[in-house]
Amino acid sequence: MTAVAPESQSRPLLDVRGLRKSFGGLSAVQGFSLPLPERGLYGLIGPNGAGKTTVFNLLTGVYTPDEGAIRLGDRPLAGLNPHQIALAGMSRTFQNIRLFGELSVLQNVQLACALRTKRHLFWTLLRTAGSLHREAEVRARSLELLELFHLQHRAHEPARSLPYGHQRKLEIVRALATQPKVLLLDEPAAGMNPQEKRQLGETIRHIRDTFDVAILLIEHDMGLVMDICERITVLDHGETIAVGSPREIQADAHVIKAYLGAADQL
Amino acid sequence: MDKFLQTLMDGFTVGSLYALIALGYTMVYGILQFINFAHGDVFALGVHLTIVFAAMLGIEGLATGGPASLPVVVGVLLLTMLACGCVGFLIERLAYRPLRSSPRLNVLITAIGVSLLLQNVGQLPFVFGPYRKATPNLLPDVTLATIGGEQQTQDDGTLEIVGGVKVTLVNVTVVLVALAMMLALQYVIHSTRFGLAMRAVSHDPRTAGLMGINVDLVISLTFMIGSMLAAGAGFLYTLKYTGNVAHPGEATWVLLGLKAFVAAVVGGIGNIRGAVLGGLLIGLTEFFGVGYLSSEYRDAYVFAILIVVLLVRPQGILGRPKIEKV
Amino acid sequence: MTDTHQSRVSSQAGLGRTLWNALWPVLVAVLCGLVMHLAIGPWAGGYASTVMVACAINVVLAVSLTVVNGFAGQFSLGHAGFMAIGGYTAAGIVYYGSLLMWGDASPSGSVLSASFDEVAGRPWLAAGDALFVVACLVGGLMAAIAGYVVGLPSLRLRGDYLAIVTLGFGEIVRVLLQGTKGQIQPWKMSELAETPGWRLPLHLGGPQGFNLLPVYTTLFWATAAMTLSAIVIYRLKYSALGREFLSVREDEIAAQAMGVNVTRAKVRAFVVAATFAGIAGGLYGHLTGTMNATELDFKRSIEIVIMVVLGGMGSISGAAMAAVLLTILPELLRDPPAIWPAGLLVLAIVTFTQWRRRRFSWPVLTGIIVATIVFEVGRRVAIAHAVDLADYRLVIYALLLILMMLLRPDGLFGVHEFWDVLGLRRVPRPGIDGRSEVEA
Repeated sequence: MTAVAPESQSRPLLDVRGLRKSFGGLSAVQGFSLPLPERGLYGLIGPNGAGKTTVFNLLTGVYTPDEGAIRLGDRPLAGLNPHQIALAGMSRTFQNIRLFGELSVLQNVQLACALRTKRHLFWTLLRTAGSLHREAEVRARSLELLELFHLQHRAHEPARSLPYGHQRKLEIVRALATQPKVLLLDEPAAGMNPQEKRQLGETIRHIRDTFDVAILLIEHDMGLVMDICERITVLDHGETIAVGSPREIQADAHVIKAYLGAADQL
Repeated sequence: MDKFLQTLMDGFTVGSLYALIALGYTMVYGILQFINFAHGDVFALGVHLTIVFAAMLGIEGLATGGPASLPVVVGVLLLTMLACGCVGFLIERLAYRPLRSSPRLNVLITAIGVSLLLQNVGQLPFVFGPYRKATPNLLPDVTLATIGGEQQTQDDGTLEIVGGVKVTLVNVTVVLVALAMMLALQYVIHSTRFGLAMRAVSHDPRTAGLMGINVDLVISLTFMIGSMLAAGAGFLYTLKYTGNVAHPGEATWVLLGLKAFVAAVVGGIGNIRGAVLGGLLIGLTEFFGVGYLSSEYRDAYVFAILIVVLLVRPQGILGRPKIEKV
Repeated sequence: MTDTHQSRVSSQAGLGRTLWNALWPVLVAVLCGLVMHLAIGPWAGGYASTVMVACAINVVLAVSLTVVNGFAGQFSLGHAGFMAIGGYTAAGIVYYGSLLMWGDASPSGSVLSASFDEVAGRPWLAAGDALFVVACLVGGLMAAIAGYVVGLPSLRLRGDYLAIVTLGFGEIVRVLLQGTKGQIQPWKMSELAETPGWRLPLHLGGPQGFNLLPVYTTLFWATAAMTLSAIVIYRLKYSALGREFLSVREDEIAAQAMGVNVTRAKVRAFVVAATFAGIAGGLYGHLTGTMNATELDFKRSIEIVIMVVLGGMGSISGAAMAAVLLTILPELLRDPPAIWPAGLLVLAIVTFTQWRRRRFSWPVLTGIIVATIVFEVGRRVAIAHAVDLADYRLVIYALLLILMMLLRPDGLFGVHEFWDVLGLRRVPRPGIDGRSEVEA
């Protein structure tokens, strides 16, 4: 096991310590810790069923951790509702795409974009100048964002009618629209061909640089992870079996065993 | 004390009716995860078919014919169950199967449609008609035993028991028949190949299909069994509530069906034992509420229990919480 | 109607704009009400007017239920319960208010609150109108509070469970209202004087119903309420809040992850829907002069649900059209008019929309033709055999509902509005836009 490399910098942006979650006696994740610095681009890998998505669900409040602490900046997040965590600055995409299919592409982004604008029921129904103004702002920002990702020409189509690759991209745009500090990407390259994957890698780096976010990436495609991630955490059966730079991970015996162990027995 | 025992007995009798109907809800929910809203109407159909079949066999109303002989009584029960089973099969085949992969709400709406259809076709003049009907005289009104009460010597010198709780043949029959059906169901589910297939489908239809189970057949049979249990409950209802029964369009049936559904939810939907427990609980609540609080709010007690249970323990008394997959 | 993106407003213009946006719906509502009440009502006659009032009230109910069942994707089967709460509240205020203030429970309304053969000599505005309007609004408020309470369990329950809980709620409301004490009759003023004010809400008629209410609801009030509710709910749909509701309906987990407070959104949906149902209840009670909780049972709720489902889960215009259609259906069935002109009209509209999109769907077109022929034949058979089709009204409802789910599960217009489906606009409007084809 590779020891956690001593980070010389002060406190990380996202500080996860000792996360544990079990479902009815079955331990899904235990002892998960992760210090994600500002503008870090970290990876989370592991065989199927290793608990990667469960970690995302714990971080975003879909599940409440049994044990452990999550801090974003100075704010403890464990136990908060998902929408409060989104407001605190953590946003995510989903492994199986979860767009609002019947809503238009633009509306998907607008919804996320309006996160930090005030929406009062009564003023909305009266259509006060203020509420109209805020709405116009949200719309303009959403369109800008879509343009940045070359989706503007499909803005008015229902999200479910987009081709698969665009849907994946839209999920990322939607997550970015909440203006997060930390972005969690759950298998963004699933179902893409090598060329698309390479482009995606570029895009992810680009997002990190232009939007100033820290990114945690779950991905099965080793090429992509090794290529873009600075540090990688490897999960197996809910436990962290290795942490390190791509090079260290590639050489790690535990990781090789976790990935190839099953193959040996065949 | 007499009042308490009487209430207990009535609550228990009616509770076992609720339990029988609740089984149908719970089985369908266990397999298809939706509320078969029309189940209460299948129960109403059972009541009305009992009257029709009894009339065919020569027993009409309390005045004409009867008390019927045992073969006739059993014949009426079996015919009713068979007919309702067929109706259950048709409902599933025609209305629910085409929607198997649709969102649950759509299926629920369809179920409401089927319920409305049964009610309103039922009250057409050439079906059952929009008027109340007399129940057939199937069982003699016999008191089997009396608990408590005082022996008094009448004027003519005979002894008669005054007061006390009467255990009538009807109450005993209702409870025993209901119990027999529940035990039969228990046997089918836990000790037959079909029961195994049913449990497999309820656990995971897709995998069950891959394992060579004919999922469509299992679902059809589940509907048929549920409908037959409802028909049995309908038959028992005509025994218990002698006099006039409401016509198919009246709110009585939907309310009874709903109470049975509440029983299924309270016990833990999808759970067979839960349905029985819930049925008895609801029956007792209703009768103790009516007996000791006020009869005006009869329907409110049951729904109040439902709301409390759903807020405190949404999975029901014996149910297991479900973890949502993301 | 203003498109939001054009509204980059300066701060000085802001106040004027706010006022205008707040006021014009009321003006439009009053105007529509006046036209219906003073021109179309008298022209159509008394019976037709009554049917139109019933249509308008049902439109309010259907359109408001759209907020919960359509936008937010929850399933409420207790809309009649909110209607009952609002209706009884309004009735109590108007009835006891009239008795206490004027010693008389007969209406003291203006031209607006009288049918057109009774308008002579009435003022344009009267104290009775104000009492009635305030009562309806308070009824809406009470229903809103109830909506808040009912909305709370919806946080933990979804889908069919929620349906049953709302249904149970409606039934509890009905049973409680039927359990109230008899009303204090207008000729027993001494009894009224002896009863302390806080006890009056206990005297709401009980099982006999709340009778002898002053009749205020006219085509004016009903149309105005309908117009206003349609505009308000339209605004809701195409606002940030409407998007929140829709996102909850589409995918709760994703909505939460995007910062939507799902709890709050659901409760809000219930509150808005309940408010309008309460107002509709007030209108309903003062139409016939009697409130009877037995009529506001789950069958009434289901009727409203059918309107929403047929019109399209989330389509305001669809729900309104279905409400009107289902309200006049019994009248139509009593003496069925020829079906084929309607069939031709539908065929023309559908052909037109398909031509606009350059996409013809033959199954749909043939379906319409076949349906028209079937209905026409059915009508002739019914007439020939002297069958009263009105007896089959509910059977037809039930079949419509099942067929709709089997053939077009999203309802007539889905989440879209009537005019979206027509495809008249080249540029899709902001909002629920851009379904690129009329689907079969």
